[in-house]
Amino acid sequence: MAQGLDDASAGSGPSRGAIWGEAFRRFMLRPESTALAAVLILFVVFTALSPQLFPTKLTYISIMAVAAELGIASIGVTLLMIGGHFDLSIGAVLGLTSYVAVVLMRDFGISPIIAAPTAVVVGAALGFINGILVVRFRIHSFVVTLGTMLIWRGVLIALTGGFPMTVDIPPLFKDVMAGPLIFGFRMSMVWFLGIGLVGTFLLTRTRFGNWVQAAGQNPQAARNLGVPVDRVTVILFMIASALAAVTGVIQVARFSSVDALRGEGMELQAVAVTVIGGTLLSGGYGSVIGTVLGAITFGMIQVGLVLAGAPGHFFKTLTGAIVVGAVILNTDVARRLARSRPLAGFRRNSAAADAAILGEAMPGRDGVDPTTAESGEAYREDKQ
Amino acid sequence: MTSAAESVAARQARLPAGSRSDESSASRRPVEPIPPGAVPVMEAVGISKGFGATTALVDVSLKAYSGRILALLGDNGAGKSTLIKILSGVFPPDQGELRFNGQPVRFASPGEARTKGIATVFQDLAVCELLSVTRNVVLGREPQKGVSPLKWLDLRRADEMARSALHRLGVRWERGLDERGINISGGERQSLAIARAMFFGSSLLILDEPTSALAVRQAGRVLDHIAQARDQGQAVILITHNFRHALSVADDLTVLAQGRVAAHFRRDEVELDDLTDLVARVA
Repeated sequence: MAQGLDDASAGSGPSRGAIWGEAFRRFMLRPESTALAAVLILFVVFTALSPQLFPTKLTYISIMAVAAELGIASIGVTLLMIGGHFDLSIGAVLGLTSYVAVVLMRDFGISPIIAAPTAVVVGAALGFINGILVVRFRIHSFVVTLGTMLIWRGVLIALTGGFPMTVDIPPLFKDVMAGPLIFGFRMSMVWFLGIGLVGTFLLTRTRFGNWVQAAGQNPQAARNLGVPVDRVTVILFMIASALAAVTGVIQVARFSSVDALRGEGMELQAVAVTVIGGTLLSGGYGSVIGTVLGAITFGMIQVGLVLAGAPGHFFKTLTGAIVVGAVILNTDVARRLARSRPLAGFRRNSAAADAAILGEAMPGRDGVDPTTAESGEAYREDKQ
Repeated sequence: MTSAAESVAARQARLPAGSRSDESSASRRPVEPIPPGAVPVMEAVGISKGFGATTALVDVSLKAYSGRILALLGDNGAGKSTLIKILSGVFPPDQGELRFNGQPVRFASPGEARTKGIATVFQDLAVCELLSVTRNVVLGREPQKGVSPLKWLDLRRADEMARSALHRLGVRWERGLDERGINISGGERQSLAIARAMFFGSSLLILDEPTSALAVRQAGRVLDHIAQARDQGQAVILITHNFRHALSVADDLTVLAQGRVAAHFRRDEVELDDLTDLVARVA
């Protein structure tokens, strides 16, 4: 598997073709490559299906509107998944925080400038509850957030009585959150891309980001080195729920309403977006940029199918196929490429390649898998 | 004593001298006597610990001095890991006292022990698999730029720190500092962890079975690095069940059996055969 990593470097410099080939190989190993490929392929396919309608500005605006709302919530889910946890409750949190924003504005007459941040803070508080339950009682986050999802959804249905509630939103606030201000593109796109940039910076360039990755890869080792893994986990849950609330506020601004089913299903869509974006389901490794592209993939499918005149149920089927395809690409192909010999004597040096191999060696992520240490060992041994 | 342990001991005793390539020659130095009046970095006095009905440790005492390696030997279940956990603050002893630089201490948490300069390296917990060498070295102590609360990683400084940490321990690192943990061999992981601990100013290094999963050549290299840490003034407690590894670097040896200190030697007072005989008898 590892033979010939360095030995080819003895010859003369690599050819131009080899440099491009290696660059391509390495790009394909990046977590974002699958989502980018999906965006490009879907663009070509939908353009071919509806050449009059699809490649138009109106379509792009619609795609970005869908991508922005789902994407903002998915970025929180991505960071949390890299830290090694799931959150199934974000859809219900989105609904409940939307309700809070609507009630504050409608029944208490509070300005949206105060109501919206309050809804986000309530979201963070709901995330705090998830985090504390996971950290204190050492219950798997999947189970904890499955429970809180049902609880918050139940509370929301009780509070709304199952009926939609409408509210008058000041036009200025509507514009700032979701108005078509940027050459026709909605403001939600600006929030989405801005949060994407902040998320990327947070993950790759800050101490907190380093801790998130460490906590997702080897929580015991991180703890042993003084990383406050539990605190990181709680903060990640708070970020995930707060970003779900941001999506909720944007939707309130757009629809001027909330209903009992608001946000339902988004928890799984966010997981799908995250996985398409190249984040490992097992945690420890991933990309916020990949998630941004994954959300755009989602938007393209949704809008593209409508324009192509496909029946509504195609959406779920095609999304599902893309999720499965993306996971196959992200794990199996990446693994094969990772083991493939680097061209022209390049050193094997790709985080994604390592993640692909590790993903194979690491079936569960809690605790330490002895096979991981061994695979690293074997790898070094036959290199020597 | 179990038959498995017996066969291991027998095999080790039977090895011809020429095959002992994992004993690093560099680390073999004459044992110096402990200077009179020296205060141990860590001293355990009469430690006992039980878990429910089982007794893990009974009246265990030991001393770890700066610039010396104390090897802690013993069979599985002898109480080695309980003792490490007490020394590194995971839980307190039921009876007895820990003295750190002569002062009685009671660690509330592993974090407190770590802050005081006690670094524990566990075999499987040395690195995060998908972080680079640099990020692994600085993990938990990342250098930052900017003004609070807006701070970000100083990646260049982190590289410098990683480089000088490895250099100080004499680790030859030919690959890039961006190499991921998964590509770092078991031996290199241990060396990296030791380098990190020393760089961040630990005074007591507790190593849990650092050589047990390693190939011969790698084990030798790790032992060299442990000796290097000792020579730079670290107090080292080396937990191992490999007597030859212990004899090749340790200055003092303590044998635990069934939760008690069964024997304590200076290295020049004991031979491999005596040690294997002893452990076979007491375990």
